[in-house]
Amino acid sequence: MSNRALRNLFAFGSLGFFVIFVILTIDTMGKLDKRAPEITEEVNLGKKVWHKYDCIGCHTILGNGSYFAPDMTKIAEKKPKEYLKRFLMDPKSVNPKATMPNFGITSEEADHLIAFLEWISKVDTNGWPPKPILAQAVAVAGAELSAGQRLYNQLNCGACHMINGIGGTTGPDLTHVGSRRDRQWILGHFKDPQAYVPNSAMPSYGHLSEKELNDLTDYMVSLK
Amino acid sequence: MTVKYESQKIAQHFFTFAVLLFLVQVVVGIIAALQFIWPEFFILNFNIIRSLHINALVVWLLVGLMGATYYVVPEESETELWSVPLAKFQFWATVVTVTLVVLGYIWMGINPQANSTALFGTGILNEGREYIEAPRWADILIALSAVLFLINNFMTVLKTKKWTGIQGTLLAGLTFLALMYIPGMFYTKSMVKDQFWWWWVVHLWVEGAWEVIAGALLAFMLMKTLNAQRHVVERWMYIEVALVLFTGILGTGHHYYWIGTPEYWLWVGGIFSSLEPIPLLLMVWDAFRTTREYRTVTNKVGLFYAVAHAIFNFVGAGLWGVIHTLPQVNKWTHGTQITTAHGHLAFYGAYVLLVLSMIYVTLPAIRGTREFSGARAYQSFWWMTISMVFIVLTITGAGMVQTYMERLMGLDYVAVKANYNLWFWIFRAIFGIGFLIGVVIFAIDFFRLGKEPLKVPSGEAIRAEG
Repeated sequence: MSNRALRNLFAFGSLGFFVIFVILTIDTMGKLDKRAPEITEEVNLGKKVWHKYDCIGCHTILGNGSYFAPDMTKIAEKKPKEYLKRFLMDPKSVNPKATMPNFGITSEEADHLIAFLEWISKVDTNGWPPKPILAQAVAVAGAELSAGQRLYNQLNCGACHMINGIGGTTGPDLTHVGSRRDRQWILGHFKDPQAYVPNSAMPSYGHLSEKELNDLTDYMVSLK
Repeated sequence: MTVKYESQKIAQHFFTFAVLLFLVQVVVGIIAALQFIWPEFFILNFNIIRSLHINALVVWLLVGLMGATYYVVPEESETELWSVPLAKFQFWATVVTVTLVVLGYIWMGINPQANSTALFGTGILNEGREYIEAPRWADILIALSAVLFLINNFMTVLKTKKWTGIQGTLLAGLTFLALMYIPGMFYTKSMVKDQFWWWWVVHLWVEGAWEVIAGALLAFMLMKTLNAQRHVVERWMYIEVALVLFTGILGTGHHYYWIGTPEYWLWVGGIFSSLEPIPLLLMVWDAFRTTREYRTVTNKVGLFYAVAHAIFNFVGAGLWGVIHTLPQVNKWTHGTQITTAHGHLAFYGAYVLLVLSMIYVTLPAIRGTREFSGARAYQSFWWMTISMVFIVLTITGAGMVQTYMERLMGLDYVAVKANYNLWFWIFRAIFGIGFLIGVVIFAIDFFRLGKEPLKVPSGEAIRAEG
């Protein structure tokens, strides 16, 4: 092939691939709104708050960003709203070990941001992030879990708390909670956390049945 | 050896600014690395430091490519540049804009509330979008600067109408680059659409337009340093850049797996991005084949850097990219440090070494020196390259630990980062210092080249002709 022919192949071939890309883009644009909930004004304002504080400068969202802080795609599913709001407005007040600085996010901005994070947690991302397969394997193997352990998994307590190195870091580590607190304290704390720890960000679990609360407390007491 | 056309010397302005920003980029990179160990290490938070790190990189590479273009186009067109005052104006306008943007980031770092959205709807100091953080007013100024730059070069070509393959491809790549800035310049309410268009900018730059530019400049450098025949280097250049775009454009799909886009992108992105390393491998083969064929080397350092660029372009952009490009793998690695590792080696190999090799190929002529010692150039190369390889290995290790513990085992992000990956961060920072040493040696060499008497016997000096 002559250089001239190769040049034409480069120019027109690339143009051809670009046209295909544009067609796919148009098709995608038509499908995106059906794969996500409606964008309310609150969600849009929340997105602007996300940009204003350059959140992507530390976090990732939809897996893209800076890898310095946790991914925010599913955060609204993992953490209670009240916790998120308090954390956003003053991170260290709810988690003294938090790395995130206090940016002076207002109450209104925090509400908007949470609306945005709730929206993004409901976007159809083709199954990303995947559920941890090894943790699931353990859950299947643990068919003989106690009622309290099963509740701990169902209620997703591990989103904030850690036991034996597995779980979140935003709440206290529960590995040895049974040797720190007695049964009465733990049971009362489940019903009204703020009565025991004044500044606690943990939501109340008073809505559980008395049996469920007892099972969960049995499990906590067993962690020595 | 001197330049053929006096106006080619304008390249030096751009190179100087690029080298200074390179130093800034690496210094803030080390601060960022230390913040992984001590998050409160510096008065500016990580987000600001990281914005500076990646923006300094993008800007100095673009400025370096502009300088290289101002050198190549008059040479290829066999005439003086259309307007030197315009080039100087465009240079200083770029410097002023970039400085204002940097000051804005620092001001935002000190006072986060200063990033008001009242005026543009997007932040006045920082748009809060990775890589394209620059606020809207700066976007417009940068686009204007790019238009002036393109006009100046196209007018130069039109003076003699010598459309060589190299400069045609180079200017096509640069025009594509400028056009692909536009999809990043409008606001969308949907974060999914936001990221969709954002990848048009980021991916079609680094895996599209920039690789086309790299192909053209590699051809130019092989011709200059080896006196290789034009029709041969241009033939391979066309094949390389064609394959870059045939695979790279639809390869954008590998960013559309998990961001809320339809499932067919898993197929499109998986297939085309897996082919992306092929043209990069072809460039390595091209560099070696040409070097073997023409044994008379007129600029050893320039050729050395150009070949190194081809190799690390393939390893960093090609291999380190392809390992996590299939959806089955990417599902687990997406959003982890594996991407950071790929980013570091790809940018170093594909573009840092490209601009540095263009500097070594053109600077002797710009400074009017016949011979120069390559000692510092090789020293800086090994400091930078060995350090970068280890930086990438530490981050790759961190990424593998993160993928396993966080994604497969379900451990908490913060626990993995703070406990299990701590030593990787420490080693990364140490190798960062090694990289900085290499950059300082390079900067000294850049400012002294051709301005000091040769200390080595002339037999060992590098003859720079061409």
